[in-house]
Amino acid sequence: MATDQEQMMPDWQRDFPYRQEQARLVSRREFSRMLCLISAAMVTGSAYVVAKAYWPRSGEPAGRYRICGKDELPVGGTRSFQLPGSSVPYILLHLEDGTFRAYEQKCTHLSCAVFYKAGTGKIECPCHNGWFDAATGEVIQGPPPRPLPALQVEEEGNDIFVIGPAAKTG
Amino acid sequence: MSNFRNAQEQAHPNKNSTLTLAIIVVQLLLVTIQVWLLYSGLNNALEHKSAIAIPALVASIILFLVCCSLLYFLPGRRAGKKYSRR
Repeated sequence: MATDQEQMMPDWQRDFPYRQEQARLVSRREFSRMLCLISAAMVTGSAYVVAKAYWPRSGEPAGRYRICGKDELPVGGTRSFQLPGSSVPYILLHLEDGTFRAYEQKCTHLSCAVFYKAGTGKIECPCHNGWFDAATGEVIQGPPPRPLPALQVEEEGNDIFVIGPAAKTG
Repeated sequence: MSNFRNAQEQAHPNKNSTLTLAIIVVQLLLVTIQVWLLYSGLNNALEHKSAIAIPALVASIILFLVCCSLLYFLPGRRAGKKYSRR
């Protein structure tokens, strides 16, 4: 009788049975087999990382781009920008010591937007209280695992230029 | 013929169960190491340090093979019955 009922049950109900006696036990061998499948998934993930790391980067801008004039960005000010052909948001900072820095505006933890806290020399990620050093991009505290990716900044006359990330890595 | 194995089976009837459990614990450890390798490889690759990615992949493949061989040597359903049949 119970078997007939089981046969009539849709698959999703069989996967999540309501009654205790309808629960199908997973044998240890099946569990071990599942661990092997997870292990294979880890290998696939590692292979994907290798492929992405060594595959030639395409689509990343490599040129030199003018962002703004020096007089357009006061000390402690910031300016968001994107490079042509890329959707990655960047942030240009005018630090209190007079230097300019450009970083990716995505936190290396969970890609939240980061903001420069003027006067502190720190970049803040408000999502999980992550902090970066505005001068170097290094992590000061919080959950971010890596420094903020930086762009090379060049000053020429009154103009500020950045060099695309592909020029640096390629 | 020696009846050592038969005597062992009778003296320790839960031996297969213990072995199975031990193998599963080892497999869990191997998968945990693989998760760590994937995490390290990915983190370093995102930091443009790709040198760690290939050794991590090779280690992960070796651990996967070990995991599969452990499954192969896992005591089967008929383990233990083989000797009591005599």
